[in-house]
Amino acid sequence: MSDPQVSPIRVAAIGMDQRQRNALVMLFGNHCRNRYILVEEDSSEICIIDLDLFGGERLWQEFRQRHPDRPLILASLKPRQVENGHTLFVKKPIPVIQLMSAIDQLSQILNNRAAEQKIEAAQNAETTPSEPQHPRHSVSPVTQKVASLMTEAQEKVFIGTSPDIDPDNQAQLAKIYYDPQHYLQGHVQQALNQATRYNKNVTIEGPWPAIDMIIAKQQIMVDAREKHLRPFCTVPDATREVELQFHEQHKSATGRREYSIYAFIWQLALWASRGRLPSGTNLTQPIYLRRWPNFSRLVVTPHALAIAALWTRQPRSLIDTAKSLGIPQRYVFAFYSAANAVQLAGETRRAVDTLLEPPAIKQAENRGLFSKLLSRLRG
Amino acid sequence: MSDYKIIFSGPVGAGKTTAIQSISDILPVTTDEQASDMTRKMKNGTTVAMDYGLIKLPGTERIHLYGTPGQERFDFMWEILTNGGIGLVLLINNQRPDPFGDLHFFLNAFQAFIKQGKVVIGVTQMDQADTPRIEDYHLQLENSGVKIPVFDIDARIKKDVSILLEALLYSLDPGLEE
Ligand SMILES: Nc1nc2c(ncn2[C@@H]2O[C@H](COP(=O)(O)OP(=O)(O)O)[C@@H](O)[C@H]2O)c(=O)[nH]1
Ligand SMILES: [Mg+2]
Repeated sequence: MSDPQVSPIRVAAIGMDQRQRNALVMLFGNHCRNRYILVEEDSSEICIIDLDLFGGERLWQEFRQRHPDRPLILASLKPRQVENGHTLFVKKPIPVIQLMSAIDQLSQILNNRAAEQKIEAAQNAETTPSEPQHPRHSVSPVTQKVASLMTEAQEKVFIGTSPDIDPDNQAQLAKIYYDPQHYLQGHVQQALNQATRYNKNVTIEGPWPAIDMIIAKQQIMVDAREKHLRPFCTVPDATREVELQFHEQHKSATGRREYSIYAFIWQLALWASRGRLPSGTNLTQPIYLRRWPNFSRLVVTPHALAIAALWTRQPRSLIDTAKSLGIPQRYVFAFYSAANAVQLAGETRRAVDTLLEPPAIKQAENRGLFSKLLSRLRG
Repeated sequence: MSDYKIIFSGPVGAGKTTAIQSISDILPVTTDEQASDMTRKMKNGTTVAMDYGLIKLPGTERIHLYGTPGQERFDFMWEILTNGGIGLVLLINNQRPDPFGDLHFFLNAFQAFIKQGKVVIGVTQMDQADTPRIEDYHLQLENSGVKIPVFDIDARIKKDVSILLEALLYSLDPGLEE
């Protein structure tokens, strides 16, 4: 994380006096090894406002008028309900670790935005007006985008760039897990379980745009574009104040984005995992895939088809899968996290599956031809 | 020059003609009964319409795309047509009265492909009829012995047809490199 190559995150302290600023300069320089740097507002990426300063509230409002989208940290002695996608609250006195983690969370949002802009630019560039328009596709961004190869920018958002790890190295192991319960993914999964049990629809409420789950149609409806939802999906504990409201009815669909529940959770899991695994996943236990995912309506991660083809033949461990296919582990982890979130993949419990070593992949007679056809289909 | 073929089959209105059109490098030969090119006169006087398309690969290799005629004309032509195919793309029209009946009819007709895992299934018209669901199809396939890819596709959309074919290729050889 504190890679000296990476340029420091530029933070501005709005309205603070020289003493407070000096404290921050020292903190950023010594304690945080120059991961952050204190700058003036104009050149900042992230700002901090102390609400307890004289005129603090007004400072905040004026700041928001100047920069509606700039990530902001608000600090106060009194706990406050001010959080939204790009505003975080920290209670004073601010523990250093909390301030760092708040800055990091917000900086993640900035990374995501940058990646997203690249995606949009790429998508705009490749729009082909001659393609037949499918009515459902025009309202449903997930179905529209799916079945396409990820661009580099998408890959960064969905999978990250973590290097392979050695499963015997505890320090490396510690980095590959995430806890879905700490992300919106976990809340949506829980909501689905309960809504299914009660056979009721549910609205998942919180600081994010409301998410409606319609059980009978196995559908999700959201009031916002993906980019407004994503910050809540990628940041752990952005979802502390979740509330589930169960009901029989649901709001009508006009103007809302609809997804299949399955595709929605798949995407949330990719966002949250970023190439990591649900905590506790065993790296050497064989993994089964109950059936092929409906790839035409899902975000297809790199090598997902190969992994699916392998696992539907025979369970195989995560480590062995990466090795057999000769691909980075993060692709296997990302696919597993998504497939596991929709309950398609899991660790085998059967002794017989661990008894036999999975066979090496047999090369098809026509591999050369198949490869050519594959690149033609993707080109 | 090497020639290979991929077969598109399924009931009427499943999108065979359209799917071949979506990915063919040549203007596919139209297959309506009226069109004469690929329409073959059978001995008994019935006409058998079929679709034909082509994917040209770098070098001399070609992939021929054949669409089978309707199941009401299921006969020995099919065997000739499908013999030696790389794989089968089975399209099922979700709007027909009995899509599972169609599914089993075609699985039975193409047993050889199924047993070797040389098949993918695309369920079309799901925008018109959202049930049965993809999961329901998987349940129907539980006894087939292989896990077959089943995707919700729209035959008019090239990406949808492409991903189905990609899944076919990976089913045949998971070690294919991207
Ligand atoms: N709404 C909708 N129409 C489709 C879909 N797939 C194909 N079609 C249309 O369905 C009609 C029948 O397709 P066609 O290719 O002639 O089917 P075939 O009888 O199997 O050759 C055509 O008008 C297609 O454009 C789909 O998923 N949704
Ligand atoms: Mg036709």
